Amino acid sequence: MTQANVNFFKPFVDGVINTLKVQCSTEFKTAKPFYKDASNGPKVAIAAILGITSPSFTGTISLGCPKGVFLGLMGRMLTETFTDIDQELEDGAAELLNIIFGHAKRILNTQGFTLHMAIPTVIRGEGITQRHIADAPTIVLPFTSDLGEVFLEICTFPTQPTPPKP
Amino acid sequence: MFDKSTRVLVVDDMATMRKLVMKVCADLGFTDVQEAADGEKAWSIINNDPKPIGLVISDWNMPHLTGLDLLKRVRADKRYAGTPFLLVTAEAESSQVTDAVKAGVDNYIVKPFTAATLTEKLEAIHKKRGGAAAA
Repeated sequence: MTQANVNFFKPFVDGVINTLKVQCSTEFKTAKPFYKDASNGPKVAIAAILGITSPSFTGTISLGCPKGVFLGLMGRMLTETFTDIDQELEDGAAELLNIIFGHAKRILNTQGFTLHMAIPTVIRGEGITQRHIADAPTIVLPFTSDLGEVFLEICTFPTQPTPPKP
Repeated sequence: MFDKSTRVLVVDDMATMRKLVMKVCADLGFTDVQEAADGEKAWSIINNDPKPIGLVISDWNMPHLTGLDLLKRVRADKRYAGTPFLLVTAEAESSQVTDAVKAGVDNYIVKPFTAATLTEKLEAIHKKRGGAAAA
């Protein structure tokens, strides 16, 4: 991974750890990131997806996790016990991604990126994997906790002839 | 802190975040908490509720009418211009903070936040507006 990539991804990593610690009272640690291919995509039950737009590149980020992890996170966030993901609860995934993106955006925009806020969408299903924009590399950033794993996936590609960071 | 009978309006397009804020309000002893899923619905409640809204806690980034635009509407209408208004945002870039202050926000809180932080912000608003020490 290049230094440019590290500089771009670090605010997202910090955003995941800080958001889930403060909002869901759960300590997450980073695990080894990997590039996603047709066979190694994480299986999740819920994922929030957000389009990234800037003048120089576009892409998507997503936050996904298995059902048990999500129910655990929402339970700690709202101090309740949940046994299933209903429509009301599922937007918790979108909210968490929104907060993570807000954190990253604030830092990256001070470094010359011009990211804009967007409204996430949520997908649900047992054992789903996400497919981002074709032909663009997707990096998976796994995080581990006592509840289990969450996965942040980032896929970007340049929209101008001169490739920007990352 | 605010009088516990103050009618509080919690505005957020995300149900889980509304629930979280409303839970904190309930824990603080507020007994009259309304909710709205976006700025337009909030504006309708502010206009039509027989009992005046005494405190607005609103998300910033929402469809239809953002929290900032709701704030501007509230401040522009002399009937509601004095309503205490707390903005909740996932963004805290300096230009946005400046926009919110110019629009007359009482305070803002950056997500993620704890119940303790929300409580502190509400106490700060109450104090700023000349309220007595915590009841």
